[in-house]
Amino acid sequence: MTTKQDTQADVLPYEEPSGIEQFQETLREYGVTRAVTYGLLGVFLVWTLFPVYWLVTATLKTRQTLLSFPPQWIPLDAQFGNFAQLFAQRPDFVQFIINSTVVTITTTILATTIGAMAAYAFVTFDYPYNLDFHLPFYILSTRFMPPIVTIIPLFVIFRGVGLVNSLQGLILVYTMFNIPFAVWMMKGFFEEVPDSLIESAMIDGHTHLGAFFKIVLPLVKPGLIASAIFTTIITWNELLFAVILALNANAMTVPVGLASFVTKFSVQWINMSVGATIALVPVLLFAFIARQQLVRGFSMGAVGK
Amino acid sequence: MATETDQATAEISSFQTDTTTRESVLLWVDDHLKWLMTLPAVFILFALTFYPLVRAIQMSTQQFLPTGTTFVGVQNYVDLMSNDAFLNSLAVTGKFIGIAVGVEFLLGFGIALLLNKKIKLRGLWQTLILIPMILSPTVIGLIWRLLYAPNGLLDYIAAPLTGGANVGWISETSVALYSVILTDIWQWTPLVVLVLFAGLQSVPDDVREAAIMDGASVRQRFLHITLPYLKSLIVLVLIIRLVDALRVFAKVFILTRGGPASATNVISMQMYRTAFRFNNFGEASAMAVSLLVLVLILAMSFVKIANVEFGS
Repeated sequence: MTTKQDTQADVLPYEEPSGIEQFQETLREYGVTRAVTYGLLGVFLVWTLFPVYWLVTATLKTRQTLLSFPPQWIPLDAQFGNFAQLFAQRPDFVQFIINSTVVTITTTILATTIGAMAAYAFVTFDYPYNLDFHLPFYILSTRFMPPIVTIIPLFVIFRGVGLVNSLQGLILVYTMFNIPFAVWMMKGFFEEVPDSLIESAMIDGHTHLGAFFKIVLPLVKPGLIASAIFTTIITWNELLFAVILALNANAMTVPVGLASFVTKFSVQWINMSVGATIALVPVLLFAFIARQQLVRGFSMGAVGK
Repeated sequence: MATETDQATAEISSFQTDTTTRESVLLWVDDHLKWLMTLPAVFILFALTFYPLVRAIQMSTQQFLPTGTTFVGVQNYVDLMSNDAFLNSLAVTGKFIGIAVGVEFLLGFGIALLLNKKIKLRGLWQTLILIPMILSPTVIGLIWRLLYAPNGLLDYIAAPLTGGANVGWISETSVALYSVILTDIWQWTPLVVLVLFAGLQSVPDDVREAAIMDGASVRQRFLHITLPYLKSLIVLVLIIRLVDALRVFAKVFILTRGGPASATNVISMQMYRTAFRFNNFGEASAMAVSLLVLVLILAMSFVKIANVEFGS
């Protein structure tokens, strides 16, 4: 009885090629399958890219041609003045860009450094109670927490200590938000650095901390760049915390500024398109540099390297 | 241990008096390195994640009045049970997650299978479909606001079906949620494609070839070889998408603000309104804690899978 089941599990029953499979074989011979594959992948590519093209070309249109029937597929009479017009009508947008830049750069430096140090320690040292194994998982699990859950108490706490409407408050929150990413990205890179390298550096007279900064960090530069770019993109893009913690122009970031172009009752179409395009350009540049690492980041380290 | 260090410091100081403090500090740092290096990360996560969580639980038992707070026990939770807006937001979120993640998975899997054939320019194709994932949800909201605008591009494309009337993509109660879902599908299908494609690539060629030699049909190969190799990645990508879809905010905020009526009022939107429009921090915290319980269950299942599948 058991043997029979085992055999069935090991050997797959032979299946006659079905009618469909024979038909598929014919299609393959004539190159139809190939054409369909390329066709479908092409359609998906157009579907994915066209909306972005539509936004970017909107920056060169007028209010009339933007929503004309039939649509203007290519902006014929390019309105480069639209960019100047945004800054003329909304001078505060410059402040938003400065705020976003300051918050993003500071957060990136903090989160990457703090994350890398923690990741190195978890990989290198033994902790009591198996903490070197458990702590990274707890850190990772905070990534699953919906930000909206902590934002309500954070707002109350920040209001109490005067961190609402300040760039410092945003930087703190974003650093917290990005540490789990940084730890998990860096952990994989540190695991590949051989222990003997650190030992020989310490014999050469380096302190352990010195060896970490002078020997180990340069070796994991690709990982540092990847987590830095990842942090940069996430911080530059973030809306929820910013819309709650940055209420006045002194602390408002680009996404909050963009959101203000769109109200329930009206949309400043041209300004909105120009602002959104300005917001997406740095992200595209950074993403292109780190394209190999992005999927790894988005899949929490499970895929690619 | 401490005496050894002290002796070493003392010896050093007898030779180089001016570097004593520096040397001893460095020695102390090296001795405690394993705690010092993890301290900043653990402290920040504790102060800005765990402490606020405790506060959220505490606040969920309070009523916030202009004069101060009063303890009301589980009253906020009891009120939630009969709060139609909250219950509606749960239903909207459920529908959003179910349809969005379902379509993203099926569509993404299909495209990953197509991509797994011998394709020219595959690397370029993969790079290009990354773009929606990295865009700010704010920018994505604005892009689709433009596409969904009355007399906009999508109204033009749909004109043969609608006879030229505007669909009201985000202003019509019966359509708005599907429009928000479509935007999410547009953004996140590429992630499913790329993760599952990586999984397909990990199926060793010799296993696949051996199966072909043994006469396994396409269907058999898919069920008995491809799927088992992909299982953990399928679970992973589903959980990532599920947890992310559960907290969707920016897209809804930009596209519809939760309207029309409350057709797209997802749970984070409802919490945002309760706390920051109606200043009802107590009830919003009760919602937050309820949502957290839901997410914890999902996160724990992820940690379990991660431990089993990817743990060291």
